[in-house]
Amino acid sequence: MIKVLFFGPVAERAGTNEAQVVFKDGMRLHDLREQLQSMYPDAFEIVCFTAVNGEHALDTSLPLRDGGEVVFMSKFSGG
Amino acid sequence: MKDAVRLQQEDFSQDEEISALRASSKRMGGIATFIGCARDFSENRSVSKISFDVYGSMALAEMSKLRSEAIDRFVLLDARIVHRVGVVGAGDQIVFIATCAEHRAPALQACQWLIDELKQRVPIWKKEITPHGESWVTAHP
Repeated sequence: MIKVLFFGPVAERAGTNEAQVVFKDGMRLHDLREQLQSMYPDAFEIVCFTAVNGEHALDTSLPLRDGGEVVFMSKFSGG
Repeated sequence: MKDAVRLQQEDFSQDEEISALRASSKRMGGIATFIGCARDFSENRSVSKISFDVYGSMALAEMSKLRSEAIDRFVLLDARIVHRVGVVGAGDQIVFIATCAEHRAPALQACQWLIDELKQRVPIWKKEITPHGESWVTAHP
């Protein structure tokens, strides 16, 4: 399984803070995003950044691994 | 001594943070600080509270990276970053940044660089709570 987390405005639009997605061999970040985007279209309208296992992920072809953690995030507004 | 980089619900003491910074070296010629506060208005609405959501583990890791990068980039002697989470009231303190160096210029430059980078890189989201409802804040420059 891949643990997907949502925070702040993305979580509000998704109506949840967390989702579990079944891992498939060869799965890449863009595969996961496409799957979730169809489930939470409103939330993904404001997604600007992605983190994989706690690190900013810029490459959408990044291979995922079973048990990983992925976060789709909107622009930050801390400080 | 408290960690130099922290996320915490409770308020922080500027005096305690600066004392901790000063204890790190006697070579410093200047300390620069920034305190971010919760405004009681935003876009013509009064704001009573601000609520923060945070991706804690990544936020702390990014803040630690920022501190290390600032120390290297500006040749600082030390730096501290504290950000509150949870709910803060209007007028309360939100974020504290302090930098120290042998001379004032790098301390001041690093302090501004740190708050600017924090806003861009640290996964924290702010929601304003007003008498008429709540809304997530869009990032400001």
